[in-house]
Amino acid sequence: MPRLARSEWYDLARDMNWKVSYVDESEAWPDELSTGKGIPMEDWWGWDESYKVSYREYVHNQVGKDAAVYSVNSVLARSKMFSQLDPGWKSAILAHYGAIAVGEYLASIGESRMGRFGRAAAWRNMAMFGTLDEIRHGQIQTYFPYGLLDREPRADWAHKTFHTNEWGAIAARHLFDDMFTANDAVSTAIQLTFTFETGFTNLQFLGMAADAMEVGDIDFGSLISSIQTDEARHSQQGEPTIKILIEHGHKEYAQKLIDHMFWRSWHVFALLTGLSMDYYTPLEHRSHSFKEFMDEWIVKQFLDQFRDFGLEPSWYWPEFLKETNWYHHALHLGVWFWRPTVWWNPDGGVSPAEREWLEEKYPGWNDSFGKYWDVIGQNVRNGKPELTLPETFPMVCNMCQIPLCNPAGFAAGYLDSPAPLIHDHGGRRYTFCSKPCRWVFEQNPSRFQGHMSIIDRFLAGQIQPATIPGALAYMGLSPEEMGQDATDCSWAFANGTILKKGA
Amino acid sequence: MIMAPFPVQGITEGDFVVVLVPVDTEDPMTAVAEKIAYHAVNRRVPEDDRPMAVRHNGRVLAGDATVIDAGVAPLDVLEVVYP
Repeated sequence: MPRLARSEWYDLARDMNWKVSYVDESEAWPDELSTGKGIPMEDWWGWDESYKVSYREYVHNQVGKDAAVYSVNSVLARSKMFSQLDPGWKSAILAHYGAIAVGEYLASIGESRMGRFGRAAAWRNMAMFGTLDEIRHGQIQTYFPYGLLDREPRADWAHKTFHTNEWGAIAARHLFDDMFTANDAVSTAIQLTFTFETGFTNLQFLGMAADAMEVGDIDFGSLISSIQTDEARHSQQGEPTIKILIEHGHKEYAQKLIDHMFWRSWHVFALLTGLSMDYYTPLEHRSHSFKEFMDEWIVKQFLDQFRDFGLEPSWYWPEFLKETNWYHHALHLGVWFWRPTVWWNPDGGVSPAEREWLEEKYPGWNDSFGKYWDVIGQNVRNGKPELTLPETFPMVCNMCQIPLCNPAGFAAGYLDSPAPLIHDHGGRRYTFCSKPCRWVFEQNPSRFQGHMSIIDRFLAGQIQPATIPGALAYMGLSPEEMGQDATDCSWAFANGTILKKGA
Repeated sequence: MIMAPFPVQGITEGDFVVVLVPVDTEDPMTAVAEKIAYHAVNRRVPEDDRPMAVRHNGRVLAGDATVIDAGVAPLDVLEVVYP
């Protein structure tokens, strides 16, 4: 290790800033790749991260992390641990790997863009560590499921998902392209590292790691904990970037970037984590509800951060808080009903005991959501699986790409209308699930207007044959890969009725 | 009279989701209601003996009005209600 303490040389070694003279600053840092808002370059040089690390320390730390995590994986690969996990939990991690692994790898593009077009040497230095982090996360979250293939062939969706047109993959790509793959460095620092990572994934990974250990999935728990330690470091690129924008009078711009990405992150977060926490995690291992997690970790943290920076809670905050009561319940119902369209086995998770838990955590759940499951459960028990499967498609939002569940929010008393928002623009009809999704579109229509949702593609004749089987093939789902109920609908027979197959 | 496939966004009263429903331009609203409700009633919403009607932009349409007569545009939202 170095003979000098890090503090004695760190600032000197990292501050490789100089004023360019052979090219214009606008050529070296074009606005398209690094929106500087006209802030003088020297003022960016005060950018200072709170978590400091040298390259030598970084490598030393990462080697240790990898050695630990891969050792755990190597030992457990020879055990029966995965086979003995709860079916609902297996669904949670299959969904996670598919939605996240390649997305992490794509995040290395955003990090490396900051590594080149960040407006201070300290920032570029941190972003290069972030690049290496994200490459690691992409690789490790592809390797672990690769080791599961002999027990769960659909673990290959860790790599496959982003290369398909499965609807969740389209939603994830649309979000991640907006957030980092096709974003400028300044916006990426605020939208990826501050809003998404500090706000959501850092905490999600902590929560999932705790849940994994609770259900006995030591493999996934150690993996996710290890990733979280990287996230905690590189997610701090956002704060110094926001500070500089605010100091130079661009508070409104920073606020808009946060508002935009907070809402978009929330919707995908609800889809992935909401279902896992409230329906897929075995009841006896649930330490909190999704709403409790949101209130304690996401909502509180964001309000603290808004206050710290002199920012305001987003204009849609009341609508967001309402959604934490109902949105993910509706998504769960939709994912379960359209289960052939996903690569994991959705766990109904609505046995009498689970419904009791849901009612306790979400007073009124039985009246607002249990009533749908009553009809579905009756069809299961009556041996009518065809009535528990779709014969058409849900409409999806042209921003978040997630099915329009407005009627559920209306039926539960949280929305004024069951209808989605129609928006005609440039001779084309767009449908949005919410005012914030429409607002994001309206802020920059040219960025979004060309994208076709899976329903737009269907109506344009791009999906042939134009049938449910045709659409499933378009999504890359073979019959063996399509989701089924994780426990063969045992939740519908939890009162002792004999289990019937086929749902 | 030429019937042509016509996509609408359908909502059945009491259901949780908006669905894509292909109707025909010459379908009367009674048929449109049946086509939309088919995807929700007895699947997630209990059967209801009351007559169904179609609401468009806040207005309940006559049962014999066709899609074209009623001025419905492609991908308009049609709600099946029990008035």
